[in-house]
Amino acid sequence: MPRPPRSVPPEDSFGNGWFGAVPSCRFATFRVALAVTTLVFHVPKFNAFIRDYTASAFHVPPAFGWLPILTPTAGAALAVLQYVAAGGLLLGVGVPTCGWFLAATGFYILLLDPEHYSHNAHFHLTLLALVGCSRDGLSLARLIRAAAAAARCPAWPERLVRLQIGIVFFYAALDKVFSPFWGTSGARLPALLVVEHGLGLSMLQRLNQVVTRAAPAALSIATIALEFFLAAAAVFRPLWQTGLVVGFVFIAYLEFLVAPGLFTWDMFASGILFLPAADGGWQVLLDPHCPSCRRRRTLLSGLDWLRRFRYVPREATAISTGACPGLQLVSPRGQTLWGFDALRVQPAILAGPAFVVMAVARFGGGFLAARGAGPWGALPYVLFTAYLALWVPGVARHLGRPLHAALGTHARAPRNLDPPSPPG
Amino acid sequence: MEPAPPGRVAASDMGSLTTGTSGWRRRGAAAFIVVWLSVQVLVPLLQKFEPPDFHYRWARYSWGMFSSIGTRYEVRLLRTRGSGGAEPIPEVGRYVRGYRSPEPMRMRAAYWSEAEVLDRFSRLVSFIARDRHDGYTYVASIEWIRGPRADEPLHTEFRAQAAP
Repeated sequence: MPRPPRSVPPEDSFGNGWFGAVPSCRFATFRVALAVTTLVFHVPKFNAFIRDYTASAFHVPPAFGWLPILTPTAGAALAVLQYVAAGGLLLGVGVPTCGWFLAATGFYILLLDPEHYSHNAHFHLTLLALVGCSRDGLSLARLIRAAAAAARCPAWPERLVRLQIGIVFFYAALDKVFSPFWGTSGARLPALLVVEHGLGLSMLQRLNQVVTRAAPAALSIATIALEFFLAAAAVFRPLWQTGLVVGFVFIAYLEFLVAPGLFTWDMFASGILFLPAADGGWQVLLDPHCPSCRRRRTLLSGLDWLRRFRYVPREATAISTGACPGLQLVSPRGQTLWGFDALRVQPAILAGPAFVVMAVARFGGGFLAARGAGPWGALPYVLFTAYLALWVPGVARHLGRPLHAALGTHARAPRNLDPPSPPG
Repeated sequence: MEPAPPGRVAASDMGSLTTGTSGWRRRGAAAFIVVWLSVQVLVPLLQKFEPPDFHYRWARYSWGMFSSIGTRYEVRLLRTRGSGGAEPIPEVGRYVRGYRSPEPMRMRAAYWSEAEVLDRFSRLVSFIARDRHDGYTYVASIEWIRGPRADEPLHTEFRAQAAP
């Protein structure tokens, strides 16, 4: 497969220093992902702290004597402003102000009462502060439009987030080395509060508990080694690819096992910063005269926040066959994927929108389940299992044909009503 | 505005074509990076291995996820007068939103110490007694279920006498 020239120069893998320029779309995608979790989890949780705190007559002394006590009026104002700031982060309006405001407000609330503290919240606020350092300059609207591929921003905020991930994993592992509940005893593992998922997933939970109780020491040592590895992988670029896969599996396992609130989702969001961006590494082969191909391009452009896709007219390629064969991708390694195979690989490429869908499923499902609306808490696991099922050998044979019929072959010749297509 | 030709960038996007950081912004950013990393590395380290003995201890702000077994306990808040039985504290939700009386409340100290739990309830009954000044004795009865320190008794009770 010949590779046409890129319209956007790829990011230099090793030459960028702390103050060099990197594609803005990567940090902007991370910011949007973080804004979604802030809106659906962090702000409601902290506003509940504010509501409870201001409605109570009794308070323990704050961590520092000089901290002002929160009054009901100030609390109500902070609650509203937190939503405004989270909305600003999502839309990309006043990002530094919104990020630092949310971080400062959050730390203030944590310091008012030790019962407000959690590692989840601490980590999320740390990330919000680092988002406040961003100068990506991409609003959500611009991120969705194709022009975002050319935008560049300083590298240091995203480098700082990556180092922060390394620091968090390093200290989490170091703590477990010295903790009497981990180390070579693994006493903490059987005491973990596992989450009941139901819907056929409880069998996996029980299996996991049996393994945990059978070999806690081995699992403890494996966890420590894994966390040290992830700390190293976050810092050393040659380990990123392996670290991403290992980290995703580990974090997904934690989410499934103990559902530790926001921490796992912040880690998933941070994983975006280890992905390639604005490289046009995946080629989408299109027929410029085919209305279905043009619609597909419009849709993919809106979802490709990391600008991984490059749109190549099918005439320019050696695999043109005369009839439009539907969705066709060429991977960075030159492998050509068609139809069903091209479709199922897309959630891995479109990391930003995939994260948003899963985060909304997780926290929206949790919201419904907490109100007794049914087993919605299992929604993200069901979605993820369904996605993994697409990779089971033989599934393509059963699902490929109807999908191909719906999305695939169509006439190459333009119809009279089709508008003229843009080149490329 | 006309669409940009292929391979070029539209004029409206030029504002975000930042080529890096230079001048005083660069020096400011460098100072921020150094301070940020120093705090993120040193604070957890000093909390875990506190001088002068540098022995390990679990600390709240030091990224010790899932490292300690959080203490579980049960609290009963009530009031008594003379030899009478336990009575509910009126309007207990006004003092701490969500608290109940005299039913036991199961709680978990995931990130705070037993000393902080004791301090909280000691202060709470004193506060209520001071506020109500009705001659009752206000009681917080704490039953440790899991994870108390070895030197801590399994049951702790605080009493505060309200002035009549």
